[in-house]
Amino acid sequence: MNNNYIYRNNVNLFSPENGYNLGNMFQNLYDQYKDYKPVQLKARSDQERSYLELSRISFAMHEMNLYLDLHPNDQKIQKLFNDYRKMFIDLEKKYEQKYGALTTCSDSLEEMPFNWATTSFPWEGLDV
Amino acid sequence: MFSYQKRLQYPVNIKNKDLRMAKLLVTQYGGSNGELAAALRYLNQRVSMPDNIGRALLTDIGTEELGHVEMLQTMIHQLIKDATLDELEEAGLSPHYAEHAKGLFPTDANGVPFTASYFATTGDALADISEDMAAEQKARAVYENLIDLTDDPDVIGPLLWLRQREIVHYARFKELFEYYNKKLKNTNKKVNSDFNNYNNFENMLDMDSNINTPSSIDITNGYLDNMNLDFTNMMMRRMF
Repeated sequence: MNNNYIYRNNVNLFSPENGYNLGNMFQNLYDQYKDYKPVQLKARSDQERSYLELSRISFAMHEMNLYLDLHPNDQKIQKLFNDYRKMFIDLEKKYEQKYGALTTCSDSLEEMPFNWATTSFPWEGLDV
Repeated sequence: MFSYQKRLQYPVNIKNKDLRMAKLLVTQYGGSNGELAAALRYLNQRVSMPDNIGRALLTDIGTEELGHVEMLQTMIHQLIKDATLDELEEAGLSPHYAEHAKGLFPTDANGVPFTASYFATTGDALADISEDMAAEQKARAVYENLIDLTDDPDVIGPLLWLRQREIVHYARFKELFEYYNKKLKNTNKKVNSDFNNYNNFENMLDMDSNINTPSSIDITNGYLDNMNLDFTNMMMRRMF
């Protein structure tokens, strides 16, 4: 495909777990501050484990999204984006069934009570 | 439109109150280089981007910055929520208490309130994206200053993470700048949201239709010239 405006960099990515800890999925862009090591996030409960997994995949998907905005013809990254996207939909659905809605599109909102209004908001921490 | 996901982009669990740090951290909420300024700047500037590539990137980064606003709100809330009135007074926060109790108010670290001038929008894509690149660098520098000012790992963790996002966003804006700069070099035209130019560039730069085929770019360049020669006619068509 002839496209002058697509960068042909060989993109090396971190795993979703490492990338999420670092706040950066792209190895060539990562820049550590002084000798501060990134936090290795650990779950303290089943809910936190599901939440963390979902957050990692969502972050990886978002990073591919920003990259694809500028490189819409990068098939390899687009495939990864779609892999993460499908994983996210699945993880989100499973999380919501157990712990309540993350968006108002959640099937969990068929249950009584309307859990969107009864489960905690993120600045208060998880209900665990 | 926008919808909400009921979760933080990165976890914030601050166990110890720290009013001194809350007073400093607030600048990344409501200061000129803060997350609120970034979110609203990008979501404001995106309207006058010349093609869908720029509109997409500013929409997506602007939306992510709203998530960072929420992280900063969470950090400040968790740092002040357990403070007593005496502690607030001692930390010099009685004026804040008088106006807002333990509610949040976006200011910089000197208490200067958030202002719309932080949007810094010229309507010229290259100027606006340069502003955004500078904003990401300034926010990175401020995160580093803030990391230097605390030893609480619960605070340092999210600050390191947010600092890293500034680096990624800077790199993406730089790519966008280079992309527009390259695309516009041959046209010698100002990139702005002026009604006529806007529509010309829309046709010329739209990734979906033109970018993959150099010949189609040539054709639109020719089209551009005709449009300019035929300026009066074009305006008449628009008006009637």
